[in-house]
Amino acid sequence: MKFFHYINFILIVLLLIGICVCEEVIVSNSLKDIQSKCYEIENVLSELDDLKNMNITMKIDNLEYVWTEDEKAMCLLVNHKNIQEIGQEIAKLKLYIASNDIDAFRVSIEEIKFYCHSYLHFMGANLHNVL
Amino acid sequence: MLTIVIRSIIIYLIVLLVFRLMGKRQLGQMQPFELVLTLIIADLATIPMAEVSVPVLHGVVPLLTLVVLHFLLTLICRSSQHLSKIISGKPVIIVNPKGIDYRAMKKLNLSTDDLFEALRACGYFSISQVQYAIMETNGKVSVMPKASSAPVTNSDLNTDAVDSFLPLVLVSEGKVIKENILLAGVSQQEVQKIIKENNKNKNISIKDVLLLTVDKTGEGYLQTKKGEGISFQTKRLVEQ
Repeated sequence: MKFFHYINFILIVLLLIGICVCEEVIVSNSLKDIQSKCYEIENVLSELDDLKNMNITMKIDNLEYVWTEDEKAMCLLVNHKNIQEIGQEIAKLKLYIASNDIDAFRVSIEEIKFYCHSYLHFMGANLHNVL
Repeated sequence: MLTIVIRSIIIYLIVLLVFRLMGKRQLGQMQPFELVLTLIIADLATIPMAEVSVPVLHGVVPLLTLVVLHFLLTLICRSSQHLSKIISGKPVIIVNPKGIDYRAMKKLNLSTDDLFEALRACGYFSISQVQYAIMETNGKVSVMPKASSAPVTNSDLNTDAVDSFLPLVLVSEGKVIKENILLAGVSQQEVQKIIKENNKNKNISIKDVLLLTVDKTGEGYLQTKKGEGISFQTKRLVEQ
């Protein structure tokens, strides 16, 4: 077999490893970042009775900004349908602040955490996912 | 819609690259594992092409993984004959001088109709003409005819047959093939001269030629875009 074929083979293997590492780093870091921001919001929320609070608004804006930035990179690696719910729930959070609906807000935060957790679990290379 | 067009171009180029990396085998020449890979590749390529929500990488990664797998299987087949037999199978004799090997046919799940179809495709219409028939690993049947049915060769007739040489295409569709001109050891002026010598129309140029081939012995074929093809004899070429 030609030397050229071996080079091709090595390059393709390296490319595949690179893609897998990129997915692991970009996607899991982004989702873990979103999850941690949700926990922060929950902590702030536990001390408040309503959503008319500057701190909450800033944190949601920040969450939305981080998600918009991360989503672009994630769309290269993840099926868009699997992550679109996270974007939808973040958009809903702003509406709940406007209507001061704290219960719906809490539910949305839980949902974002759930989607992040389920995708992190779903992308992991384990026997359950492989089979 | 533009996204789909761009995705289709990307996937097409990648599939083309994958098939180039896999080699130039045709469908009928494929080993079983190669055929399986081809079928999977065809299916995989369509997913990210039509489904915009699926990243292109979801199609590219399995395709490249299959290329790697194909490379490894080819390497295994080359390095170990035993493993090669497991992966690709081995040729099976289905017709021997005693007749049809029914057990071998049963193993291969072949019917006599299939056998006759394969023999007819090889140019043998009766089993009595066949000494051996072998089912190859790519599914084709190779036939060794009985001496009485074998085609007569020059050595049978003891004739002084001269080996023929591969003709070099010097001009194709009005374009000079520079590589072949160098191989033939002629100049472009000489090509022009050959064309003029062998055509009634003396104002003919290289652009008007559809095909000009010359072999080592000087035997050539010339056809213009508007005229008929003619065979001619020119000086012997010195192939480089």
